[in-house]
Amino acid sequence: MTDAFLVGAGQSGYGAFPEESYRSLFRTAFDATTESVPKGLMASEIDEAFVGTLGVGGRQLGLSGPAVTEHVGLDGVPCTRVENACAASGFAVRQAVQAVKSGMADVVLAGGFEVMSDMSSDATKYWLGVSGETEWERLSGTTFAGVYAQMASAHMERYDTTRKQLSRVAVKNHANGAKNPHAQLGFECSLDEAQSAPTVAEPLNLYHCCPTSDGAACALIVSEDVVDEYTDDPIRVAGVGAGSDSVGLFQRDSYVGVPASERAAEAAYDMAGLTPEDLDFAEVHDCFAIAELLAYEDLHFCEKGEAGALVESGATALDGDLPVNTSGGLKSKGHPIGATGAGQVVEAFKQLSGEAGERQVENPVRGLTHNVGGSGGAAVVHIFEKETAVSA
Amino acid sequence: MTAITAAGAYAPRFRISAEAFEEAWGQFQAAGVSEKAVPAADEDALTMGYEAASRALEAADLDGEDVSWLGFGTATPPLENEDLTARLGAMLALPNGATRQLFTGSTRAGTRALWAGMDAIEADGGLALVVAADAPRGKPDDAIDHAAGAGAAAFVLERDGPARIVDRAEYATPYPGTRFRNAGDRETEGLGITQYDRRAFTETIGGAVAGLEIDPAPEAAAVQAPDGKLPYRAAGTAGVGTDEIRACATVHDLGNLGAASVPVSLARAIAAGHDSILGVSHGSGAGADAIVVESAGDVPANTALKDGDALTYAEYLRQRGVVTSGPPSGGGAYVSVPSWRRSLPQRYRLEAGRCPDCGAFAFPPEGICDDCGAREGYEPIDLPGEGTIEAVTTISQGGAPPEFAEQQAKSGDYAAAIVALDVDAGDETVSVPVMGTDAAPAAFSVGDRVETTTRRIYTQEGVTRYGFKIRPS
Repeated sequence: MTDAFLVGAGQSGYGAFPEESYRSLFRTAFDATTESVPKGLMASEIDEAFVGTLGVGGRQLGLSGPAVTEHVGLDGVPCTRVENACAASGFAVRQAVQAVKSGMADVVLAGGFEVMSDMSSDATKYWLGVSGETEWERLSGTTFAGVYAQMASAHMERYDTTRKQLSRVAVKNHANGAKNPHAQLGFECSLDEAQSAPTVAEPLNLYHCCPTSDGAACALIVSEDVVDEYTDDPIRVAGVGAGSDSVGLFQRDSYVGVPASERAAEAAYDMAGLTPEDLDFAEVHDCFAIAELLAYEDLHFCEKGEAGALVESGATALDGDLPVNTSGGLKSKGHPIGATGAGQVVEAFKQLSGEAGERQVENPVRGLTHNVGGSGGAAVVHIFEKETAVSA
Repeated sequence: MTAITAAGAYAPRFRISAEAFEEAWGQFQAAGVSEKAVPAADEDALTMGYEAASRALEAADLDGEDVSWLGFGTATPPLENEDLTARLGAMLALPNGATRQLFTGSTRAGTRALWAGMDAIEADGGLALVVAADAPRGKPDDAIDHAAGAGAAAFVLERDGPARIVDRAEYATPYPGTRFRNAGDRETEGLGITQYDRRAFTETIGGAVAGLEIDPAPEAAAVQAPDGKLPYRAAGTAGVGTDEIRACATVHDLGNLGAASVPVSLARAIAAGHDSILGVSHGSGAGADAIVVESAGDVPANTALKDGDALTYAEYLRQRGVVTSGPPSGGGAYVSVPSWRRSLPQRYRLEAGRCPDCGAFAFPPEGICDDCGAREGYEPIDLPGEGTIEAVTTISQGGAPPEFAEQQAKSGDYAAAIVALDVDAGDETVSVPVMGTDAAPAAFSVGDRVETTTRRIYTQEGVTRYGFKIRPS
């Protein structure tokens, strides 16, 4: 079986862009992606495309994949839309890796997009909840803030995790996002601010919640046979893992973790032959502050119950042992649902290419991306490994 | 002969005082009412009727399946065209073949249901459940609204029992305009012709009592109470003293309970152990019903009429939806009505499933068994409705899904929890997501014990969906 390689990735800015359409945002991401390929890449060389989007707003629910790939000139290229809620384009990247590894394609585009800012707040709330379990979970009065807040309540009860530790996630990710020109909320925040914001769903306050965002992101995955045509410093997709679970939190075995994340991570580590100690950075799914803490545990960065202490120790800060969410994460960089997974790969590509600017991790060799759908109905993990070390 | 063999009563937890009205309006127009009960945003005559009925059945140590006849009386049905007894019967787990009758049209509807229940018992025997619930409302600046309370009562009737209904009589004569609500209106109004209204009240009440064969000398008199003064004005024509009326009055602390006025007073008199009780209702139109209850022993009763949380007048307007703007545009979670109906055994009765292969429990009972993978389907098992909170949050203002935005505007923050519901046998539980009610959200914490009740969940496409919520045990 051939190896798969990441040769390019790029994104639009994340934020609110009233002058942009979902197609123009996708085009910005696509152009940035082809331009990022060290030796260049023509649209005509792409064999296949996978595009992730939830379809927020219902603007193009059917055939939303071809609606953007045809717009950027991938005429006739087979395109499949992938829907796994907030993990849509993480799974699109996984589809691209599978297509390459199967030998059916040599050059595959994986991307995603979402436009969330052009609706009334009521309509937004409707769309934000559509990936929760509808008949029971949502009709108990929750959207995702509520469901993640329930997880936080259980984690705090079991492990004495504190609100302050939740706020430290926000402080850290804003510090990183302030160094990312693509970030939606690219400003620093103090621990005081992150502790005193208005409550959204007890114990989560506004600083414990990611924003709603417009944006698009893409990545290019190629086969071993052609990788040399695109780069001299290949980044290998060393590990891929994915998992699913019941859509409703109440139907799961654990409320203090995301079992699908744990399954995905174990599969990815296993395939890569690596352990968390081998990682130089990670982009994890911090839609809510508690989600980043759960990710530390599910991805085995620490033991169960120790995530609060881990963030408090500074180990996951930009200058820590394992920097997490150097991009700013969903919290500061933004969370355009369908674009988020591919956007995490963009950060991995930049870090491993030494192109991460002020937030560059020193000489990274291996990075992990972790993308969760809903409250854990689906999760996907990728591990990228640079074949030669970069000097930053 | 018919006897009352159990009684239940319920009033919502919210109260507003006469002083709160005075502060808002400069005066309070409901003489003799010191405070009154206010239904929460997720309550209506149907949910209050369920509360009283489930208490009456519990007091009688009966299940819904024992009931052969159900009567429901209310002057404020949440729907004008749809028989609510089908839903009420399902919430109480009555047999589908049980006779059901709905009574509405005036504040006499509660005693009309009692009448029909007595007729059914006298004709066919069996076990009748009579439910009366009401939540009147008027224009905010009208005396009718100032007096409007909320409450419900329910009685189990059988041929024999400790509290026999030994006599009854009725009387009707036309008095248009005293208290009416035209089709399509939400608020009840009256012309307010003081002497005319009083005559309609006293003539019908006097007429009904005069029609009794026995001359009642009750310890307690449950007299219709549109406000705190009128029942006492009728004392003379009803042949009772004011002390007897006061003995089981509900209007002073709960307000005008409309069709539930006499039933709740009757339940209160029964619960207090009074041996002889006169009940006299009045409904606009006008008409009156009089009954005489003679009790030879204690009647099991479960009444929940204690006062709860005080509302300001502004909060009162919010809870009643007077100052909220209705559901937002932009849609909500779509669960089709047929899908909702399929889940009614779970929503109304907490019907879980037991795997026939490994014995594991599932809620809702669908999909393959999580424990052993069996595909045979589940044996139904009703849960007792008690459990422990496993995870909980408080949804702050603005954080609710759109389908709950209007409820949140009315009643504020609410708790949303995952609860491990007890299964009767052993230590096993099933987990369900559920909204908190009947208490402030801070009253729900991980590890707390809770019980279920039935409330309005949300309304979509004009159809209100009812289901279970939790409250502190």
